[in-house]
Amino acid sequence: MTKASRITGFITIGLVPALVLYLLFVIVPIFWSAYYGFFDWKGIGAAKFIGLANYAEVIKDPIFWKAFKNNMLVVVASVFGQVPIAMILALLLMRSTLFQRMIRASVFMPMVLSSVVVGIIWGYIYHPQIGILNFMLDGIGLDSWKKAWLSDPKISMYALMVPIIWNYIGPYMIMFIAALQNISPEVEDASKLDGVGPVRKLFAITLPMIWDTVKVAIVLCISGSLKAFDLIYVMTGGGPAHSTELLASYMYNSTFNVYRFGFGSAISTAIIILSLILITGSQYLMKRDYR
Amino acid sequence: MKKSFVVTMAAALSLSLLAGCGAGGADNASGGAAPKADAGKSGEKVKLSIWHNYTGEDLRAKTMRSLIDQYKKDHPNVELDVQGIPPDGYRPRLKTVAAANEMPDLFVMWPGVMTKEFVSGDLLQPINELLDSKQDWKNNFMPGSFDDFTIDGKTYSAPMALSPTSILFYNKEIFNKYNVQPPKTWDDMMKLVDTFKKNNVTPIALGNKAAWVAQSSILSSLADRVTGTEWFLKAVDQNGAKFTDPEFVQSLTYLQQLGKAGAFQDGFNSIDNTQMEQMFAQGKAAMMIDGGWALTNLAANASKEALANMAVTVLPSMPNGKGDPNTLAGVVGTGLGMSKKVAGAQKQAAYDLIYALSGPEAQKAILDGNNLVSYKAELDTTKASPIFAEVYKMMGNVKRTPVYDGKLSSSAADVVNNGLQELLMGGKPEDIAKKIQDAAAKAVGK
Repeated sequence: MTKASRITGFITIGLVPALVLYLLFVIVPIFWSAYYGFFDWKGIGAAKFIGLANYAEVIKDPIFWKAFKNNMLVVVASVFGQVPIAMILALLLMRSTLFQRMIRASVFMPMVLSSVVVGIIWGYIYHPQIGILNFMLDGIGLDSWKKAWLSDPKISMYALMVPIIWNYIGPYMIMFIAALQNISPEVEDASKLDGVGPVRKLFAITLPMIWDTVKVAIVLCISGSLKAFDLIYVMTGGGPAHSTELLASYMYNSTFNVYRFGFGSAISTAIIILSLILITGSQYLMKRDYR
Repeated sequence: MKKSFVVTMAAALSLSLLAGCGAGGADNASGGAAPKADAGKSGEKVKLSIWHNYTGEDLRAKTMRSLIDQYKKDHPNVELDVQGIPPDGYRPRLKTVAAANEMPDLFVMWPGVMTKEFVSGDLLQPINELLDSKQDWKNNFMPGSFDDFTIDGKTYSAPMALSPTSILFYNKEIFNKYNVQPPKTWDDMMKLVDTFKKNNVTPIALGNKAAWVAQSSILSSLADRVTGTEWFLKAVDQNGAKFTDPEFVQSLTYLQQLGKAGAFQDGFNSIDNTQMEQMFAQGKAAMMIDGGWALTNLAANASKEALANMAVTVLPSMPNGKGDPNTLAGVVGTGLGMSKKVAGAQKQAAYDLIYALSGPEAQKAILDGNNLVSYKAELDTTKASPIFAEVYKMMGNVKRTPVYDGKLSSSAADVVNNGLQELLMGGKPEDIAKKIQDAAAKAVGK
């Protein structure tokens, strides 16, 4: 054997355990769940084969599309909220003075908290009677702005965006800081010699140099938002009257509260298909290189 | 190269095998022991598993745990595998093992829909034998106690609790301050709401985030007064009555009327029932419509003075209502179910455990722990809080009517829950009734 083929062989063996586990616990269940989607099954007793009826119901279900719309709102808020804010913070906190490290740690902190804790904290901030937000609005004379933040269906979805954005800025900021610190000092020096101003430098040098990281961040952001569940589940449970329902929470409620396992499986299969379309779409859009 | 692949495969395989075996252990234990062998006396070891949701620090959980410990002491030859699962996660876990047909030998289960589903999945065995062998015990249950555990003449459990779901709690101090009486009719209720609103007191505390509160506590009784019980049972079976019938739409309209009059505090759809109970206990609302479960929470969290200020009654009567106004919606509480797989010596040990947790002494112990039971037992008034004694007395004087989510299938009940949230946010009663009707019809396959 040549050296190259030995290395390839070694890599193959090295991949096998992870691949087997991944296939067994991720890929196989996806198909399994798609298969359950063909049945009318309460979770107990006999499952009745009903063909595509569950899938047809999902497509016609207004709550499903409402959940999809809410999910898209979360995606948009995350991509245009988390990424730019994380970028600005990264540019400001790039250097490592004590003060900057402290701020960095505090921005990262919500990531360390369990999302249930974050959900409960924000639930109290938004609390209609004893919430700190309404209390503050009262204090500065804006009591006409006081709202039942989480139970008014017109604003509850937007009220939920704030903790979602706040919670996940940390990791993107760290990624951006790492990427920024990787830009070689020679480039910076050269740009200084050429007399590039700060704004021009940002758009002509810094952003293109870290564009790959930004792309990764956006993909992570989209896939993360499609999975969004925990915070909203804790804060509103998808209510009132499905107004803050997300795809994942709707799937969970249909499966484990209403015990329609077949319908729930059909929803999860639909989520997978929609996610794949979105991720591929975003990849394709970002192929246009910034450089 | 090949070798390591084999090793990995072997590891992966054994892992999956292990996972498959884990839950099977319990049913190997039944062995060949003769049926009817008295487990308490014979020397051989009997294995038995039980799942319960008594993990909290409330009185009920403590009482039940001590009863289980007592059973262990009395039956040294029974190797009892006890699994306590926190209440919030209990139902889904039980349903999941039910789906996999890996039930524990005994488990806490709910009457009505859950029992029906388990029986249709052929997972349970009846306990009539045990009930018939102890006639005194059986006859001391309140009338109708076994109804929701009985299917086709076979009884699958004995209730260990009673849960009235729509008690009207009111704060005597606030009522005295504004010189008003608890409502007897719907007009009284609307006038009360008006009076309290004018004086900046929240008339009724409501915490409907989990969405079942308005359904279970308010609608169950309110609609029963308007439509009558018979209509509701017919509508559930979709047999001669529909949820789009004018009487049901009228019930929804009454509930909405209450909401529109500002009876509930702002943002009631975003706080849960515990916060609602706190609100009432702190005297921030004049009334609260809540179930018997509130009693333990209140006893544990409210101050003595606050408790002394509380009083209870039933919901007011409705104009031209077909239902009896002297009723309370309620269900019998959980009981122990027995898996189909239990046999032989295990069965006797399981019967003993059921009797230990729901027999006369257990019922008395549960009652003394400020929990209502569906069993005729003397309440020790020195141990119970006054509000509990009052509820207990009231339960003896009123009839029990069905609760919506106790009768409707889970999917139809979910539509009612979400529909009521929508209703209270201003949705049209007719539209919501239509949605409920569709879900109910689908659930019974019509």
